[in-house]
Amino acid sequence: MSKNLVNLTVNPCKMCMPMGSVSAFYGIKKCMTILHGSQGCSTYIRRHMATHYNEPVDIASSSLTEEGTVFGGEGNLIKGIENMISLYKPEIIGVATTCLAETIGEDINRIINEFFKKHPEANVRIIPVSSAGYSGTQYEGFFKALRAIVENVEMDVKKNDKVNIITGLISPADTRYLKKLLDSMKIDYILLPDISDNLDGEYKKVYNRLQEGGTSIEEISLMGGAKLTIELSTFIKGEDSPAEYLYEAYGVPYVRCSLPVGLRDTDMFIRQLVKAGGTMCAETKKERGRYLDSIIDSHKYNSEGRAVIFGEPDFVYSTVRLCAENGIMPVVVATGSKCSSLSNLLIEEIQKASDYAFVEKFKIIDDCDFDTIEKYALEFGANVMIGSSDGRRIEEKHKLPLVRCAFPIHDNIGGQRVRILGYEGSITLLDRITNTLLTQKEHSFRSALYNKYYKSNLETKSNMREAVLPVETPSEDMKTVNLKKSATHPCFNGCGSGYARIHLPVAPKCNIQCNYCVRKYDCPNESRPGVTTEILSPEQALGKYKIVKQKMPNLTVVGIAGPGDSLADFENTRKTLALIKEFDSQVTFCLSTNGLMLPIYAEELAGLGVSHVTVTMNAVNATIGAKIYKHIDYMGNRYFGEVGAAILMANQMAGIKKLSSLGVVCKVNVVMLKGINEYHVRQVVKKAKELGCDISNIMQLIPVAGSAFENMPLTSNKEIMEMRKICGEIMPQMYHCRQCRADAVGTLDNDQSIEFRGCTSATNKKGILFAVSSKSGVLVDQHFGHATDFYIYEYVNKSIRFREKRSVSKYCDGSESCDGMGSGNKEGKMDAILEAVKDCNGVVAMRIGEVPKQRLKEKSIEIFTTYDRIEDAVKKAAEQLCV
Amino acid sequence: MNVRNIVLDKYSAKVYKNRKEHIMELTEETKDQPIAANSRTVPGIITNRGCCYAGCKGVVLGPLKDVLVLTHGPIGCGYYSWGTRRNKAKTEDGRNFIEYCFSTDLQEPDIVFGGEKKLRQAIKEAVEIFQPKCLMICSTCPVGLIGDDIHAVAAETEKLYGITCMAFSCEGYKGVSQSGGHHIANNTLMKKIIGTNDTPPKNKYSVNLLGEYNIGGDGWEVERIMKRIGYDVISVFTGDGSFEAIQNSHMANLNLVQCHRSINYIAEMMKTKYGVDWIKVNFIGIKSTIQSLRDMAAYFGDKELAERTEEVIDDELANIADEKEYYYSKLKGKTAALYVGGSRSHHYQLLLADFGVSTVLAGYEFAHRDDYEGREVIPTIREDADSKNIEHLNVAKDEKKYHAYLTDEQYELLKTKIPLEDYTGMIRHMENGSIVVDDLNQFETDEFLKLLKPDIFFSGIKDKYSLQKSGVLARQLHSYDYSGPYAGFRGSVNFARDITMGLYTPAWGFVTPPWKNRSTLRASLAGGEK
Repeated sequence: MSKNLVNLTVNPCKMCMPMGSVSAFYGIKKCMTILHGSQGCSTYIRRHMATHYNEPVDIASSSLTEEGTVFGGEGNLIKGIENMISLYKPEIIGVATTCLAETIGEDINRIINEFFKKHPEANVRIIPVSSAGYSGTQYEGFFKALRAIVENVEMDVKKNDKVNIITGLISPADTRYLKKLLDSMKIDYILLPDISDNLDGEYKKVYNRLQEGGTSIEEISLMGGAKLTIELSTFIKGEDSPAEYLYEAYGVPYVRCSLPVGLRDTDMFIRQLVKAGGTMCAETKKERGRYLDSIIDSHKYNSEGRAVIFGEPDFVYSTVRLCAENGIMPVVVATGSKCSSLSNLLIEEIQKASDYAFVEKFKIIDDCDFDTIEKYALEFGANVMIGSSDGRRIEEKHKLPLVRCAFPIHDNIGGQRVRILGYEGSITLLDRITNTLLTQKEHSFRSALYNKYYKSNLETKSNMREAVLPVETPSEDMKTVNLKKSATHPCFNGCGSGYARIHLPVAPKCNIQCNYCVRKYDCPNESRPGVTTEILSPEQALGKYKIVKQKMPNLTVVGIAGPGDSLADFENTRKTLALIKEFDSQVTFCLSTNGLMLPIYAEELAGLGVSHVTVTMNAVNATIGAKIYKHIDYMGNRYFGEVGAAILMANQMAGIKKLSSLGVVCKVNVVMLKGINEYHVRQVVKKAKELGCDISNIMQLIPVAGSAFENMPLTSNKEIMEMRKICGEIMPQMYHCRQCRADAVGTLDNDQSIEFRGCTSATNKKGILFAVSSKSGVLVDQHFGHATDFYIYEYVNKSIRFREKRSVSKYCDGSESCDGMGSGNKEGKMDAILEAVKDCNGVVAMRIGEVPKQRLKEKSIEIFTTYDRIEDAVKKAAEQLCV
Repeated sequence: MNVRNIVLDKYSAKVYKNRKEHIMELTEETKDQPIAANSRTVPGIITNRGCCYAGCKGVVLGPLKDVLVLTHGPIGCGYYSWGTRRNKAKTEDGRNFIEYCFSTDLQEPDIVFGGEKKLRQAIKEAVEIFQPKCLMICSTCPVGLIGDDIHAVAAETEKLYGITCMAFSCEGYKGVSQSGGHHIANNTLMKKIIGTNDTPPKNKYSVNLLGEYNIGGDGWEVERIMKRIGYDVISVFTGDGSFEAIQNSHMANLNLVQCHRSINYIAEMMKTKYGVDWIKVNFIGIKSTIQSLRDMAAYFGDKELAERTEEVIDDELANIADEKEYYYSKLKGKTAALYVGGSRSHHYQLLLADFGVSTVLAGYEFAHRDDYEGREVIPTIREDADSKNIEHLNVAKDEKKYHAYLTDEQYELLKTKIPLEDYTGMIRHMENGSIVVDDLNQFETDEFLKLLKPDIFFSGIKDKYSLQKSGVLARQLHSYDYSGPYAGFRGSVNFARDITMGLYTPAWGFVTPPWKNRSTLRASLAGGEK
């Protein structure tokens, strides 16, 4: 099995040989390496190693140029070695070749001889390793360098009692663990290589470029006389294997162990050490027990694991076995190296795991790239990846979490401290894998359960009903049902009276930026320009609904109108609707949106029983739209200008069409903007009609401070009425819009939201209250005595918030002197007005008569007369009051 | 003995002779002396330089988001240049090739029998699956030696698939550093892409931003400011750049050169061929950003544009005023050393100066003498064998597409006021007593660090950790350590915040163990023993 594409490698899962060779040389004491080739090779490799280990990595280069490629690089290499000696005085120099040196056919041994001819006094050992980038990966490069080291160091063949331990690329922390384990077992060992200090150094005031740690040349020279070699590699064999060389050249017997990861491979390694004369100490036994304990503790979670494991063959082999013994099913097993025996050695193990997990498909691939890994990971439903940070692109793209535990780790720190070896390291690795699975579970199980069991139950139920009913309920009938509901919907019945609605502020997020809107205040086209005082969770929303319904029996409509967009974060909206529907199946659901996500959720909305939807659609032409919308956020991208507007409009139209085909009653809101869409409104309404809308609502712009349209001239009431009349010929119009808050409660004329505010949470701190007399709701433009509504604003901590709208009629005491609004009884009405503002600290009006002035003063309510924007007027008033 | 000599003294006679020409301690006299640059690195000395391939594929071509760049060679080079430069790019259709690494992954038999067949096959697969509009082939060391004719394959590809395809012979051994790769990339972009689409610009204030690679989003911040003023940015070379935008770049009226080293070739050739003038700009640093914006306004000579420029400058300055003042108070008096590619070492000195940080050492990895001494020395630069190996492209005036924005008189007048086709280099902006080093190596870094003791060392990942182990704050100016943008006004405070946080991090307070600190606290008990 091999990668998807035979000739094109897309996102490689391997590096080149010199990378491995220099890593191996880093485990040798007082050694420095020079790469014979272009200087880019050493620069690139240093960069990659330094980022992983968070340590300085120094690799010299012979800096071959065009001249060197033509006439040979001997001069450069000799010069390079001379300079390394004179500057850093290494005892060993590793010379690793590159593609370039190998292609031009450099004879490194000859060049080294030349060097010693020139410098007979040089006290340095030079070890050449042939590591062309095209002959293998970093995995082979690593062992090739080790082999070159044992081949080139003169051995002391006198027999000793030492055990050679040869490892592939393991982390410095794992190396330290290995040494501790060997010490604890009282093994007299030589570890080749030993990168524990050189690539994970402590902080020191003086940094020495010549590495003090690592395996020394004296130790290496004893390897030829050792009693045994243990080579920790499953796959390295033949001419790349240092152990085999030591056997062939010096008769040192060897055993091959897999990397001690997981129970079985660690047991095997320890058994070999015991055979070699070691004793397993009590602490190691305890470690083993703790690993057993941990795998039992976490087996439940692990059984859901479907893993992608990629990297060097030895790492992949042992990690697969760790996963398999923990019930984690390895679905994609991949290495970038050419390693046909990987499949042979693992197939049985994985087959067993797949039988246990009841999973049919898996794949073992060598010579593989990430394009192939990605393909199978998705196909086989993997839920965790284990390997180097090169999997991060798949992680980001598909939200498939990655456990970073192999070289290279470039986007996290701590590559030098990764632990996977031994019982202890296996616990660490396993915990990381299990926790990755658990984290993912924690983030998604609620919605997953809901979608799988609850939502599909709803669907099943309706299917059953359909089966029982003699006639199917086609959407035409749905429409009739929904239209009936319009009669009890204050916004759709044409007069607004009688019935009450509640707006539940559960949707704080918005996905578009309208130029008339400042998000920190609110979305003004569907609500008053004050923040909703609270954002409710779906559960709180249900609570609030229950309370209000009890006190307000005429409550017929539940609406979701923001304060952001009700579909921008659909989860909350969906949940709220579902909860309330469960509690009260008779309720009419209404929702307002900008329509961007409508095509995606239309079907689900209809399914949830939403009968009325309002879409704010200000244009059907992208050029005009671009003037109204600054940007939109769609499918993870931000679109500006006409592109953004076009996407938004296309979705609005598609969404409305879909909704009306599903029988949902649709309303289109159009904000009339002078100089932008005033001549375009008719076309919008016409288009809405075509799409199946039932009613449209042309509204005034409410200029919000700080928005792009802050200073835009207002459309007068008269102009709005005229436009409604014109459009009335196309479609029924809404003449009684009050541009409600996102948390409005009550009838349109009587917002009682304040009474229910915070009924599900702690009450707010109270500031200075102002009652504003206003006709338009925008300007202070009404005589105090003429007010039928007061806009109550609160001044807290130097900021102004809209609190509520109070209808004067509500404050009628019912006595003779007060027979409601509009009648001739002035005195009575004044009583009601005064009653309405009695808890305020100030009144802001355009004018005020002498009598009310007196009466307000008696109640020590301050009076401010002005003609200004409400916010500005209140602010000035408050500042005066505070001085 | 001065600092320079102390460092040089440790070298062998041969290396001494070479390196002394590259190191300069600035005085009134030395400031006018030539510095050795763009010459071969001393082998074995542990240089920070990269290769020709890195300059071509990694730097100039890498950021092009709608181009499929295929590395023809063994796997290493393609792998190592995969997503390592932190160039940011976004695309409207979601297809963004800079997240990918494409390679022919040559194996031993391919080296022996030739890799052309594999290359053709890989291109076929790439075209079928990814359907790029433009495909670029970059070769690595062995390809140049085994004689694969990648240019023929490119021509064949164009014919076969009807897409634009070009080949870059940027084998690592060419030239002496990344610089050769820049030049090769510049030549081919000029030959094959620039001038192939003549869509007119939206307004006459049309510009290209050259040598801005959008590291950490720098390019986006610069574009934001320019668009606020009213410029039409036709193309960016090459940060968040695209093949399609570059096709159209010759229609602009002005080229803005940010990184002089990597892109001046294109600026010059576009002037000759299409009449597009260029000015040197620098959007790193507050004062330099203001100066660049004013130079641009001066070029277009429009009153309204000049006013708009001032308005935007005032507004941007007002937005960062508080932060700027705070960070200035924290950074004033600190010293810095910089060792970066071919222009950042100059640009960042100006940003540092905005915050009261002075520069004690600055060096370039792969710059030429003109980047140090100014463009007037170009005629005196002696061409050596290595630079002769990089093709010098001669272009001629394109009679049909030539358009000069300025009249000759206007041009001559403006030349005295703004850096029209001019770059004055780094050295003359530096203080006497500071050190300039070309191709600084690890050994010299260690030595200078001991002698100059800068508070901050700006360099790359390769020396970051050795600097930190020496107790000096290190920041990567190649990749910004996951930060940015640093350009423009808002970027300047990002930068200042990053280094303030770095200098004042609690960690440095612990690096001297308490037992080595002399006790400064003494107390005696009243009436008791001392």
